[in-house]
Amino acid sequence: MLKFKNVVKKFTKVRAVDDLSFEIKKGEIFALLGPNGAGKTSSVRMIMQIMEPDSGSITFGPSVMQGDKVNRSKLGYLPEERGLYQDAPIIKTLVYLSTLRGSDPAEAQKKANAWLDRFGILDRKAEKISTLSKGNQQKVQFIASILHEPEFAILDEPFSGFDPINQELISDIIRELRDGGMTILLSAHQMQLIENIADRILMINNGKELISGTFDDIRNNTISDKKLIVTYDGDVKNELFQGSGDIRNSIMTAPGEWEIYFSENYSMNEVLKIMIAAGSVKTLKTSDVNLHEIFIESFRNGGRAHE
Amino acid sequence: MNNQLKTVWNVTKWEYTRFFKWIDLIKGTVFFLAFGLIGGVIGFWVASDTITTPDIAVHEYGDFSSENFQSSQFTFSDRSEDAMDVLLEELEAGDLDGILTIVSTDSATIRMKGERGWLTGLRQHLREQRTDLKLQEFDIDASVFAAIEDGMVLHTEFDRGSESSSADKWLAGIAIFLILMAVFMGFAYQFTAITGEKQQRITEQVISAISPQTWIDGKILGITGIGLTYVVYYGGLGLIGMVALINFTGAPFGQALVLINPGLLILFLLLSILGILMINSFFAGIAATIDDPNTSQKSALMMIPLYPVLFAFVAIFNADSTAIQILAVFPLTSYAILPVRLVMTQVPWWEPVVALVLLAATAWLFRVWAGKIFATGMMMYGKEPSLREMVHWFRRA
Repeated sequence: MLKFKNVVKKFTKVRAVDDLSFEIKKGEIFALLGPNGAGKTSSVRMIMQIMEPDSGSITFGPSVMQGDKVNRSKLGYLPEERGLYQDAPIIKTLVYLSTLRGSDPAEAQKKANAWLDRFGILDRKAEKISTLSKGNQQKVQFIASILHEPEFAILDEPFSGFDPINQELISDIIRELRDGGMTILLSAHQMQLIENIADRILMINNGKELISGTFDDIRNNTISDKKLIVTYDGDVKNELFQGSGDIRNSIMTAPGEWEIYFSENYSMNEVLKIMIAAGSVKTLKTSDVNLHEIFIESFRNGGRAHE
Repeated sequence: MNNQLKTVWNVTKWEYTRFFKWIDLIKGTVFFLAFGLIGGVIGFWVASDTITTPDIAVHEYGDFSSENFQSSQFTFSDRSEDAMDVLLEELEAGDLDGILTIVSTDSATIRMKGERGWLTGLRQHLREQRTDLKLQEFDIDASVFAAIEDGMVLHTEFDRGSESSSADKWLAGIAIFLILMAVFMGFAYQFTAITGEKQQRITEQVISAISPQTWIDGKILGITGIGLTYVVYYGGLGLIGMVALINFTGAPFGQALVLINPGLLILFLLLSILGILMINSFFAGIAATIDDPNTSQKSALMMIPLYPVLFAFVAIFNADSTAIQILAVFPLTSYAILPVRLVMTQVPWWEPVVALVLLAATAWLFRVWAGKIFATGMMMYGKEPSLREMVHWFRRA
């Protein structure tokens, strides 16, 4: 669906995207992650043709092309910078934005009604956008990005501004859209949600790739799939954790409680010896590493995000 | 209709209906008429209460007699027998409006509580009485005096094929006024539309769907449409008012309409539409560079298109000066100045042709330039492009 190849984008003082390459397959949910200023928005804007790369190429699959040009009506976009015409009625705004992407107005109105109904705001369709709460405005913005049924949709922070129930609703809808054949590029900070719905993940920092692949691939290739949670009675000689080649990282999560991440070729026996040597162990258990931890860990090791 | 034109039309309709609402216009007109009516009633009441026939006591007549002081505008009373103190008391009590003391045919004094509007009428009355007295004194016949006063009639002839009628001159004046109105409308709406979209962060969503040029084209057409609708609406209202006035006064309205040259009317319309399109393109380009309208220095640039309309009023005084001849074909000013030249003097056939071609080309160039500025300027949050950058984009256009 999309090939992003050796793309470079420079601004006056910053190399926002630095020789970045990735590929998005048709019908998948592809998550683009990174700290603030990592180059996500610049990458997204280049894909959406809002800005041009300085070098490299961005090519779309044939289903999005019309001759040698990108058919914008096949693309959907939920920008990070949200905004709607505050003084315009909801239904009118949705139909207008959909017709800009080539939809038939009557068809767009029908679909908009169905989507508003699903989000529980159909009865307010004639009201001005400004009368809606922030969360409901987010729903309208989300509908606007997919109402014209694009082949490829970029959803930048789709969960932002929603409560947990609506975050789940959005997750379900994104999965449904993917199952219906839509390709989705997702950028978000809600790691738990990304972990549940993304087929593949790309983490970037300073415009470069840090890690990529399926969640399982990433977990296996970064800090191991498990972590150890140890609680102690009394003092802990945590300096012992630093000097070991079997322990990659340790984090104190509460007084006396430590999370221990293993190195690539660790020995559990050696790790346990260190745990015991460090203090009086009260409890010990293993746990799966989640995306949030991978994200934090990756940036500790892969470089610091610039502001 | 191809897709791009269809999208331009969609944006045009959106921008037009976003700002233009018949109901608001009608409400505005009703309010305007209601306030006009209220103002008129209050004004009439204030005037009728204020304007009364003043009571003037004549204390001394000088060389005049009391017979000279008969007037429908004033109630003069002969108080030459009364003491000044008595008259002053009556003036203080409000029983008198003034005390007139005439010393001679060349000097008189009026004593009042303060400045009054009827003083001009009193001066006129005294002047007339003095003239009559002097005519008698110098034994001059009234008809002789009237002949001296008549003066000389100066007839005007113009070195041109056909003279524009008064109706054409009125038409040119109205055209300039309506252009001025459309310029203000364009200024207000482009400014609100574009800076508002920028501040509401709508830009990125729309610009990912359609090209900046398509978007700006729709905006320019939509907002020009609003300006022209207002012009037609208020022009129509003015016309209705004029017909009502003419019917009321019994003037031949139909004959006045016949005097309007249809060729000039079409030319004025073309110049107005192209001029307004060019100005709205300029406004759109500048508005796209403004990040915060409350603090931006560039807001002042939006006033530039008002200058040509002001120059047009100067053109009325000497439509044949070299500067005005140049400005009549110069595309940034021709839409306002050429109509004045066309009705005030003889204009060669090629002048409107050149002016129209240059104006159309400049409107197109401004449209492309606005598109370039819009494409970059609308995505610049927190900073504005410098004038140097804007000139660079203009050269690229």
